[in-house]
Amino acid sequence: MLFLTLREMRAHARRLAGASLAVVLGVAFLTGTLVLGSTLRSNFDDLFADAVAGQDVVVRSETLMEMDSPRGLIDLSLVERVAAVDGVARAEPEVSGIGQLLGSDGEPIGGMGPPQLAGSWTEDPELNAFRLAEGRAPERSGEAVVDRSTLERGDLAIGDTTTLLTPEPVEVTIVGVATFGDRDGMAGVTFTGLTLEDAMAHLTGSADGVSSIAVRAEEGVSPDELAERLDAVLPGGVEAVTGEALADEQVDEIADTFLDMMLAMLTTFAGIALLVATFSIYNTFSILVAQRTRQVALLRAIGAGRGQVLRTVVLEALVVGLVAAAVGLVGGLGVAALLTALFDLAGFALPTGGMVVTASTVVTGLVVGVATTLVAAAAPAVRATRVAPLAALRDAAVERTTPSRARAVAGAAVLATGVGLTLAAATSEGGSVTVAGVGAVLTVVSAVVLGPVVARRAVSVLGAPVARLRGVPGGLARQNAVRNPRRTAATASALMVGVAVVTLFTVFASSLEASLEDTLDRTLASDLVVNDGAWGGGGFSPALADEVAALDEVEVATGLGTGEVRVDGDVKSVSVADPAELARVADLGVTAGSLADVGDGRIAVADDTASSHGWAVGDTVEVTFVDGRTEELAIAATYEADDLTGGYLLPRDVWEPHALQSTDRMVLVDVADGVDLDEAKAAVTEVADRFGGPNVEDREEFTATMTAGVDMMIGVVYALLALAVVIALMGIANTLSLAVHERSRELGLLRAVGTTRAQLRSAVRWESVVLAVFGAAGGIALGVFLGWALVETVSAATGGLGSFALPTGSLAVVLVAGALAGALASVRPARRAARLDVLTAIAAP
Amino acid sequence: MATTPTATRTDVPTRLAARTVEATKVYGSGPTAVMALDAVTVGFEAGRFTAIMGPSGSGKSTLMHCVAGLDTVTEGRVLLGDVDLGTLGDRELTLLRRDRVGFVFQAFNLVPTLTAEENITLPDRLAGRRTDPDRLAEVVATMGLGDRLAHRPSELSGGQQQRVAVARALVRRPDIVFADEPTGNLDSRSSGEILQLLRRAVDELGQTVVMVTHDPRAAAVADSVVFLADGRIVGRDDDPTTASVVERTSSLGG
Repeated sequence: MLFLTLREMRAHARRLAGASLAVVLGVAFLTGTLVLGSTLRSNFDDLFADAVAGQDVVVRSETLMEMDSPRGLIDLSLVERVAAVDGVARAEPEVSGIGQLLGSDGEPIGGMGPPQLAGSWTEDPELNAFRLAEGRAPERSGEAVVDRSTLERGDLAIGDTTTLLTPEPVEVTIVGVATFGDRDGMAGVTFTGLTLEDAMAHLTGSADGVSSIAVRAEEGVSPDELAERLDAVLPGGVEAVTGEALADEQVDEIADTFLDMMLAMLTTFAGIALLVATFSIYNTFSILVAQRTRQVALLRAIGAGRGQVLRTVVLEALVVGLVAAAVGLVGGLGVAALLTALFDLAGFALPTGGMVVTASTVVTGLVVGVATTLVAAAAPAVRATRVAPLAALRDAAVERTTPSRARAVAGAAVLATGVGLTLAAATSEGGSVTVAGVGAVLTVVSAVVLGPVVARRAVSVLGAPVARLRGVPGGLARQNAVRNPRRTAATASALMVGVAVVTLFTVFASSLEASLEDTLDRTLASDLVVNDGAWGGGGFSPALADEVAALDEVEVATGLGTGEVRVDGDVKSVSVADPAELARVADLGVTAGSLADVGDGRIAVADDTASSHGWAVGDTVEVTFVDGRTEELAIAATYEADDLTGGYLLPRDVWEPHALQSTDRMVLVDVADGVDLDEAKAAVTEVADRFGGPNVEDREEFTATMTAGVDMMIGVVYALLALAVVIALMGIANTLSLAVHERSRELGLLRAVGTTRAQLRSAVRWESVVLAVFGAAGGIALGVFLGWALVETVSAATGGLGSFALPTGSLAVVLVAGALAGALASVRPARRAARLDVLTAIAAP
Repeated sequence: MATTPTATRTDVPTRLAARTVEATKVYGSGPTAVMALDAVTVGFEAGRFTAIMGPSGSGKSTLMHCVAGLDTVTEGRVLLGDVDLGTLGDRELTLLRRDRVGFVFQAFNLVPTLTAEENITLPDRLAGRRTDPDRLAEVVATMGLGDRLAHRPSELSGGQQQRVAVARALVRRPDIVFADEPTGNLDSRSSGEILQLLRRAVDELGQTVVMVTHDPRAAAVADSVVFLADGRIVGRDDDPTTASVVERTSSLGG
């Protein structure tokens, strides 16, 4: 039967191409994601391997907060002890920390992802990952070596003097240009190298502590062996690790914190695209099988068994899947490049390098592509086997168009279960996200199952205005859209799923923004906020708050910093502030105790934090700091509003003694009575400019900045979902093309009795619009319900995210966009319908 | 019509290629039920050309479909050779059609994407066998298709397409060939050709042919004609001429 299948496929290549495109795009997206993943991983591998290239062993503190935060310090005197160990060729102390270098325009260079680093310039060229390309190494205090790409970005050159924020502003003169290996920079990281003394003074705030000791082994001594020897002489709390292990550790960190999450997100969207593609393929095969009814019947009459019929369709799907997956694999390389560009555009600099295509990527892409196609074609293939041989002798093509009662009953049952579970999770106290998830999936499944059941009525209603307003073509469009509810539903389902996900995210984001705005409104009592931006700015010096507070125009100004500690072994994010001052510019909603009592070894915690640990005011909490020391801290107050400060609020006098570099992320400013807000803002901005120019924002601007993150996230999500929607629209276009082909005779007849080409085009166009609106409306309804459930469930589970907000404006845009896209999808099929030759069409067998 | 004349001549012991015994076929149920066949008992002799005639709705196509294993009877029995079709499942019926029955339909007889030769050998391919080249040559020669084998159906005239269909029906030496209005879509010259080819298939290749038709000139080419009306056998003509058939059918009101 292979020859027959291949012959059929060649004859209908164009029709199959339409369906394959859906798989091509889905697989391209999936492989693009996988390629991006392995490429990034390999680039990070190279990067970190290079970074420790000459360092056989690194001696460092064992104390660690989070993977990507700095470790505690080790004593400088250890260098001598390490150097004395047999087998050590050279040992050099290193200091590293955060340092934002200001460019010639006074703005910090870099940020948005890769860290802004400053450190001691390692003298031994083999231990130093950077290489001096021009100029000389820093010799005196105030001299710095900077990597070439950072200098270029900041428009700086040797001899220039600029400011390094550590976060205290430090004036530095650039004396040398460094390269990272032979690259200009280290993937967006900015690096400023200082003398060891400067680095210790500015980055550690300690006279005798360094970050690590880099060790080069003597010829013939293996790093592993040397690390062992060193461990033997090192004091407790200090460890020796090989450079190789260190690089692996750093790659794993990136993988854990960033890569895996990003790839999981991308894979999810690839999955959605493939799911949508499944509908498209299902529909194409359904129509192909229906159109081939007479041929299948003929084959059955002359002796083809059911198995043989099944095999022809399955084989066809297999070939389509294989070809499409193969093309998709190639397209995946393009997608990977496109995704990199997209992330670049969004402001994430990813390390670049050659594309890495692994065998597992290829296999995954092929298997997923073929499997998707086969699954989608399975039902039509089985349907083909049910064609009775007698159908060859009858005129009408036999396709069941009306949904069965069993479908209605099963669909209703799944719907009831799905909605029930979702509602239960959303409305109960502390609802389970898992239950809500299962409920959501069942609800979506039921929508797909019930599609054909409701299609006739729904499309009829949606099409009514079209029929009334567009005359004969409108009437034809409406009738054509309802004549095969199963096909209509399958076509619209693809769009429905895509739009439902879009809606879900839109609802979730708008609720998130609404909650955020609401909270800031309630909590924030300050007139101005000095803010280093929503995305990973490096923070600024706490001195900024003091200087702002000293301004005549300002009544109160208090800084808010963040840091990490361990509580019960878990890493927790804490806010650092002067609680009494903070209370004057923010309403934290204190529920017990008083913020005035916080300080002097006492802290405040959020209600949720307290209740989950079973703490109350007066209890003590054991907190471990980055320097390895642990303190018993009493709880002096609990508060309700944790959006600004998070779960833990530590007074500065508790935090500062343990911190390496003290930074603020925000300063809340209350303007003095009678002072014009703009005037005050100008004065605060002047101060802020001396500290690297963090933004000075009024309440409205600050709220906008805080929600900008959500906007950006939703923007990326839309871009990713666009693919699924495009696939769904191609599905509509493909279905319409096939329908036009199928209705050749009917269309010819219409033309023969006086329908104009324009009217025919109009009929096809409006059919497409009605279909698209049906899908989009269903998707919006589904998305709003699931979005509401998600918001309610998450609120109940976490206590955060209070208000559900319905973004009617955005949803109206989605609906209109769906209708327009439907019109767009109809362009080709409509043109084909209009081009039909009347006589040929009527003569068509 | 109280009596149901049997079409089998009991006086001449002839081998029957196929027969029905009290075959009844009812479509639908309840008040809308339609009785397409009403206890039909008929036999088709091997090596002969039998035509089935009758007005529209007389049940002639249903009779053929049931005997050919394309449809099943509601009551009674259908035997192809010694095989009772009622005892067979879909798979056995399919194999029976493939191996022992040939079909020629009125229209849509060929797979459009296959060449003439590929269409002829399709049943063998379905069976996973190679077509006997001698048989193929013999059938192709009889049908006069020698120079048309590489053509697609769209490149052939209606008559040529139907000849390919006849060749396909004959190539596996079926026990019986069923032709359903094989000339219904053809002009008179092509019709004559096809009928003569079916005739030659019986005379020269020794095949058994059963043809449903409503054209008296077509029926006259057969050895005998069975007349149906309202699902019953109403007559038989063992020496049909166009005139005798016309006379018979007009008396039936067809």
